[in-house]
Amino acid sequence: MKKIKLTIEGMHCASCAGNIERSLKKVQGVKEVSISLMLKKGNVEAEDNVSVDELKNAVLRAGYKVSKIE
Amino acid sequence: MNEHEHNHEAPVEDSEIVSWKKKLIWSWVLTIPIAIIMLSERLFGYEFIEMPYSIIAILVLGFPVIFIFGWSTIRSGLRGLFTFYFNMDSLIALGTVVAYLTGIFYFTGIVQDYSGVAAMIMAFFTTGKYVEAKARGRASSEIKKLLELGAKKSRILRGKEEIEIPIEDVKIGDVMIIKPGEKIPTDGIVVRGESSVDESMVTGESLPVEKMKGNPVIGATINQDGILYVKATKIGKDTFLAHIIELVENAQGTKVPIQKLADKITSVFVPIILVLAVLTFANWWFFSGDLSKALGVGVAVLVIACPCALGLATPTALMVGSGMGAKRGILIRKGEAIQTMKEIKIVVFDKTGTITKGKPEVTDIYSKVKEDYLLETAASLEKLSEHPIAHAIVSKANLKKYKKVTGFSIVRGKGIIGKIGIKRIVIGNRALMNDEKIKYSVFEKEIVGFESQGKTVMIVAENKKVIGALAVADAIKEDSSQAISQLNMNGYRTVMITGDNELTAKAIASQVGISEVIANVLPEDKAKKVEELQKEGMVTFIGDGINDAPALKQSNVGIAMGTGTDIAIEAGDIVLARGSLLGVVQAINLSKATFGKIKQNLFWAFAYNIIAIPLAVAGVLHPIVAEIAMALSSITVVTNANLLRRKKI
Repeated sequence: MKKIKLTIEGMHCASCAGNIERSLKKVQGVKEVSISLMLKKGNVEAEDNVSVDELKNAVLRAGYKVSKIE
Repeated sequence: MNEHEHNHEAPVEDSEIVSWKKKLIWSWVLTIPIAIIMLSERLFGYEFIEMPYSIIAILVLGFPVIFIFGWSTIRSGLRGLFTFYFNMDSLIALGTVVAYLTGIFYFTGIVQDYSGVAAMIMAFFTTGKYVEAKARGRASSEIKKLLELGAKKSRILRGKEEIEIPIEDVKIGDVMIIKPGEKIPTDGIVVRGESSVDESMVTGESLPVEKMKGNPVIGATINQDGILYVKATKIGKDTFLAHIIELVENAQGTKVPIQKLADKITSVFVPIILVLAVLTFANWWFFSGDLSKALGVGVAVLVIACPCALGLATPTALMVGSGMGAKRGILIRKGEAIQTMKEIKIVVFDKTGTITKGKPEVTDIYSKVKEDYLLETAASLEKLSEHPIAHAIVSKANLKKYKKVTGFSIVRGKGIIGKIGIKRIVIGNRALMNDEKIKYSVFEKEIVGFESQGKTVMIVAENKKVIGALAVADAIKEDSSQAISQLNMNGYRTVMITGDNELTAKAIASQVGISEVIANVLPEDKAKKVEELQKEGMVTFIGDGINDAPALKQSNVGIAMGTGTDIAIEAGDIVLARGSLLGVVQAINLSKATFGKIKQNLFWAFAYNIIAIPLAVAGVLHPIVAEIAMALSSITVVTNANLLRRKKI
């Protein structure tokens, strides 16, 4: 298990956070997702084999951009 | 690296505000002429521009408002429609595009012109977003201040020379020089100098703290009157401030259970509204036969629905609440804690380090042998223990050399056993003496005397014979009784739990105003005692977070107390950066106030949608009125969250 912190661009309403959560949860191996609209950040808990690119793409699919990964 | 990122973070929100502002100004520059054309025609029947040309003018003026300044909304909204990741923008995009198209289709003669409405919806939407973004920025202002609190530069000593370097280049072991009025760059230990330091920005402690050689200091606090030489002990992500920031940030991602329903509704809200708008449109068209009216009502339904108010209700209030807390050294780790807090009936305190200072001192020595011999024997064994009482005995003896101890063992919650030469030494409480079958009845009177003063007595036995007793007292923190009396007054059942014997515990408890004491509890049994209390009501446990982690976890809301840089971040649902029990009272008040605000916000957000949507469906609301109402609803929620600051905590 690993924890990844994402900074996300383009969120501006509450349903945005929900969309990103939904999209990230569809990625196989992702266990926990919480997105903060207020801080424009998201915490993802995922299996070790989940790549950062998969997460980035999931965010992109929902229509938003990852600007930083920690 | 870290510092750079933090510098970079703050402007993100600002750039959002700036971009909305730019869009807002340009939108209105073009929308006001549209409004004048529309109003003068409809209200006064006066035409600036003759009829078909006025529509062309509106279409020309409106185009950039919707498709240039509103492009980000249109794009994100339309993409949402195609990818099934619907969002707020989907409703606005559809509403404005449909309204705009009526202007074009007017020329085919099938509909009335609504195109002016499109630009106005977009302009109001942009205005609403701008105000909301600003209010959201205000909601996170305390947290942002915390993010920017760290020092950027440090003056360090290289050899004999003072040089100034960026904070990222400071290494552990570097000696930093901090002049009066300057920020202490990072966590460290004072190696030279004396001063008082303002730690309020990090711990919420309002009084300056005296610092001298050997004292730990916290990065980002302000040195006040003397020059301090501080050896850096923690840097980057390991500092106290970095931990606090991480904690506060993570808390924003946690959920408050009451938000669950709102989140569920938000996630299906937009598609439901889309369907509802289509049905409304179809119905109106079918029953009234008026396509134009049907389109207008459909657009009104699209733009009035506001998932934002629902979605923002909790996070904004949580943001303001946790910011207020952070300013006072109260760190809310889990959003759930603020909801649970209102159910709390029983407040359980650990004694040592929570009610008391946790720095016991030897106050009385009762000895059957020479006092020096007793102290030397006791200290030689206690030297090997980490227990606070052991420290007290060792520092009382203040020896240069200790006797050699063999076969040392610690009996948790009871005492210690070891051998000096051939003599078997047992030091501990009554329980240990009973276990070891050592008679101490001759000391009983003295022991009881010390205990009824709230002192802890360590009996010292040599070869199964008691040779003396050491009374250790742990001073009560200055504001413990004030805090506890406030809790009593507010109707909480206060309980003290401790490993001490009944008599000592009761003496301390009565000094601070606690009537219920659970004494003789071994550290590992504290969680069990909390569990028993939970049968009678929700429990919050207050402890130091190091020894009390299981009890903190077991309780409904665990409040971990930190002092200075020792902070057990993982242990509690709420962490107090400052050692005062008044923080507990504040944490309870803050949680209740924040939760109250969340409830209020959710109520308004639900009420708004429940009332406004049917009105729009009924065709009573003009699309522009609908849009204004929508913008106001989310602004109200965020502004209401900001009003939380007015509460006295």
